[in-house]
Amino acid sequence: MLSITHFLALSGALFLIGVCGVLMRRNVLIVLMSIELMLNGANMSLIAFSRLWGNHDGQIMAMFTIAVAAAEAAVGLAIVVSIFRSRAGTDIDDLGLLRD
Amino acid sequence: MSGSLVVFYAFAIMAVVSALFTVTRRNPVVAAVWLVASFFAVAVCYVLLSASFIAVLQVLVYAGAMMVLFVFVIMVLDVSETGEATHRRPTRVRQLGYYGAVVVGVGLLFWVLSGTLARQFLTPGADLRNQPEFGSADAVGRVLFGQYLFAFEAISMLLLAAVIGAVVVARSRRDREREAKDEGMDEATREAAGLDPQETPAAPGLIGPTPAHDYGAPSAGGHEGGV
Repeated sequence: MLSITHFLALSGALFLIGVCGVLMRRNVLIVLMSIELMLNGANMSLIAFSRLWGNHDGQIMAMFTIAVAAAEAAVGLAIVVSIFRSRAGTDIDDLGLLRD
Repeated sequence: MSGSLVVFYAFAIMAVVSALFTVTRRNPVVAAVWLVASFFAVAVCYVLLSASFIAVLQVLVYAGAMMVLFVFVIMVLDVSETGEATHRRPTRVRQLGYYGAVVVGVGLLFWVLSGTLARQFLTPGADLRNQPEFGSADAVGRVLFGQYLFAFEAISMLLLAAVIGAVVVARSRRDREREAKDEGMDEATREAAGLDPQETPAAPGLIGPTPAHDYGAPSAGGHEGGV
């Protein structure tokens, strides 16, 4: 029997893989992709709970998450292009501009 | 084993494996393709949750638009340079620390999840037999444009702001300087905006004559000091 547990486990797995990608990769493009994976995991649990309670609010929230993810990807990739132009690299460890 | 369970396992495994390949591949183009596979598998799981409209949206926005954006940016960035960074590898001890922290974190999370989920959420979910339209574009649209209309408008403003921000950020410094000059922005304003061309260090190995000090046409107030 397919239950909500299955979907929550899948959601947790996707989120965890995304977290590992963000923490362990240094290529900024792959870090951005890992963030998308984490957002997908969050969406999955929103939609699973929407199905559990039988109302649409979770699906609406998932839609908003998709819109915010699109905005985040656009701005993030613009920043990547801008950084790559001035410093010629996508290694995330080299980017200490706001810290130093 | 029911049919939906088979479909779920097939696509859940596909989603997880594709996600793993996404974060482990060295070449970002390959990672992007695996990410598309993961998005498709997740969309199938949305259909299983009777969220057909969100599933379509997932394929259109994530697997379509966003992946095109990613691949386009990778193309612009010249993929040979976006591969593995070779310098400053973490030391052996630090690497061990990373992996150890990840293993401990995953273990803790699974411990907590397996304890709580197995006890609490084994209900199969709400009975949807009296609302066969659940999750369709019609049903979602009624909620979206009724109860959530203000949030919908707000998210459209967010998208607009993101588009403008992306355009502003992605333009090169030289473009911005030239445009500031073309629009007749005076020197003080340019300097306040961080666009003073005299402070820009010339790129090493610049081909052609070194640009001399160019103060442009004299303004109405004339030059203040200087050469």
